[in-house]
Amino acid sequence: MKKYWRCHVCNDIHFGIRAPGICPTCRSENAFLMICDREAKTMLEPFCTSLDEPGFRRSIEELADGSEFRVNPDKEKVDSLIEGVFTNESNHGLKYCPCRLTEKDFEKDLKIVCPCNFLIHETYKDVDDGECWCGLFIKRR
Amino acid sequence: MSKILMFHGRECPHCKKMMPLVDRMIEEDKVEVEKHEVWHDEKNADLMRSHRDIITPKCGGQLRVPTFVKPESRDAVCGEMEYEKLVAWAKT
Repeated sequence: MKKYWRCHVCNDIHFGIRAPGICPTCRSENAFLMICDREAKTMLEPFCTSLDEPGFRRSIEELADGSEFRVNPDKEKVDSLIEGVFTNESNHGLKYCPCRLTEKDFEKDLKIVCPCNFLIHETYKDVDDGECWCGLFIKRR
Repeated sequence: MSKILMFHGRECPHCKKMMPLVDRMIEEDKVEVEKHEVWHDEKNADLMRSHRDIITPKCGGQLRVPTFVKPESRDAVCGEMEYEKLVAWAKT
């Protein structure tokens, strides 16, 4: 089960099964200790920022940069998907994929937050011109 | 021919692409289709979830849109497809 971890040197917060060996922020070794959810929330809340649509577009481009996939060049499709992602965040709390539906099971539903782990989708994996289910990302040729 | 349920999302580009084909199928092939938008109508979303056991085995283990369901024969198909394929499935 994932837990929160805090770097005692620079207060970096990590959420995962285990602590990072090296802090990605200050590079200290073996510097993380486990903390409770409330403590993590209190420390993170003042730094919460919203990501607008241009920011999200930059973020997915950066994710695709240098990867085996790229953002779909079909602008109309991408615009529709991003509109859906942000509408879902506004109406349902997270950037859920507009081409799937939540199951009212939070852990399961995290799997459809965009971008999802589409590398395992049957529409992407082992398909030459594969794409994620929604078509936001396509395999580079 | 049994009634078909179509589950779709307003902002889903695949659903937008399928919609004219569905309208054509209703008009030309007299297939009865009930459309349910699932992201802006919680009742429709719950209706789709209630067909989870029919949909997920045919749709990668997930609730995906667009999805077409034949409740009587407990069959489902999802995603974009050619018109002929959709009609053939609807009439089977």
